[in-house]
Amino acid sequence: MSKSLLIISRQAPWSGPSAREALDIALAGGAFDLPIGLLFLDDGVFQLSSAQQPGNLQQKDLGANLQALPMFGVEALYVAQRSLAERGLQDQTSSLAVERLDDSSISALIDRYDQVITL
Amino acid sequence: MKFAIALFSPPHAPSSRRALRFAQAALAGGHEIVRLFFYQDGVHSASSNVVCAQDEVDLPREWREFVQTQQLDGVVCIAAALRRGVLNDDETQRYSRTAANLDAPWELSGLGQLHEAAQLADRLVCFGGP
Amino acid sequence: MATLHVLSHSPFTDSRLSSCLRLLGSQDALLLCGDAVYALQAGSAQRQALELMPEAIALYALDEDVQARGVAHPTRLTLVDYPAFVALSCQYDKVNTWL
Repeated sequence: MSKSLLIISRQAPWSGPSAREALDIALAGGAFDLPIGLLFLDDGVFQLSSAQQPGNLQQKDLGANLQALPMFGVEALYVAQRSLAERGLQDQTSSLAVERLDDSSISALIDRYDQVITL
Repeated sequence: MKFAIALFSPPHAPSSRRALRFAQAALAGGHEIVRLFFYQDGVHSASSNVVCAQDEVDLPREWREFVQTQQLDGVVCIAAALRRGVLNDDETQRYSRTAANLDAPWELSGLGQLHEAAQLADRLVCFGGP
Repeated sequence: MATLHVLSHSPFTDSRLSSCLRLLGSQDALLLCGDAVYALQAGSAQRQALELMPEAIALYALDEDVQARGVAHPTRLTLVDYPAFVALSCQYDKVNTWL
C-alpha cells in the first residue's frame, strides 16, 4: 500500500516559486496515483482567492494548476480556518472545493498522513 | 531505517550544511539513504560553479564528494534547476546556453523521483530555510 | 502517530513557530535548529510560549546552534547532536520540517 503524503502550502501565490512548486509536488504525486493531501495554511490561503488577476505581474496564474488537482486525483484539499480569519477571508469564495479545518482538525489531519512536506 | 532526504536550500544556507551533517550521521548510524533529492533553491547546492574562499566550507564540493564516496543516488529536480539556471551539458545544448554548471554525480530528473524515494523510504526528512 | 516538527527560522520575524505551536499533536515534539533557537531567549514571549507547552510535548534543540548563539536553555529542553537528531527522526513517526 502506498504511503500518503500531505503537502502544506504556506506561501502567497506570487512570493516566488514556492506556491507553484508546492502544487507541482501535489500534481506529480497525483499523476503517479499516490494518496496526496494538500493543506493551504498561513499565507497559502491567498492562493485560493477567486479574485486574482496576475496578468499585470507577468506571473503565472496558478488557477489552472489548482483546477487540475482533482483531475490528477488530488481531492483531499483543505484550508486552515484560522488563517482565513486572520486575513479577513472567512467569507471568501474559493476557486477550489476545499474543506475548512480548525487547528485541532489540522493536527488530526497531519497525524493521518504517513509523510508531510511543509513549504 | 531507510531515509529519503530532500534539500530545498542553496549552499550558503545553514540548512544545506545541516542536511549534509544529518545525512552523514544517518550513514554513520548504520542507516541507508535511498535518495537525495534537491528541489527549489536546493538545486544550487549541486552547482559545480560555486566559488568559496579558502577558509570557508565548500558545501557543493562536500555534497559531491559525499554522494560519490558513499555511492548515493543524488537527484536534482530538472524543472527547478532549469528555472534557476542550473544546467548540465545536455540541457545547456538543448537550450543553447553558454555554460553547464551541473556535473556528475548529480542527475537531473523529475518530481517522480522524489515521490518514489518517499515511497521507498521509512522516513522522508526535508531541509530548507535558514 | 507522533510528529517531530523541525524549525529553523527566527521566531521574531517569522510566523512558523506560532503556527506550529497551534498545530502540535499531544505526543508531538519540537526540534529547534538554526535561528529558531533564538526562541529560547530568556525574557521573550516565544520562550514563555515554549515553556507553556504541555509537558508531554518534548522540546529539543541542535547543540551546535544553541552553543553558537550563547542562548541558555530551559530544563525541559534536551540538546541533541546529529546522531541524536537522526535517532529522533526514527523514534517519531514522521518529520515535519517547516521549510
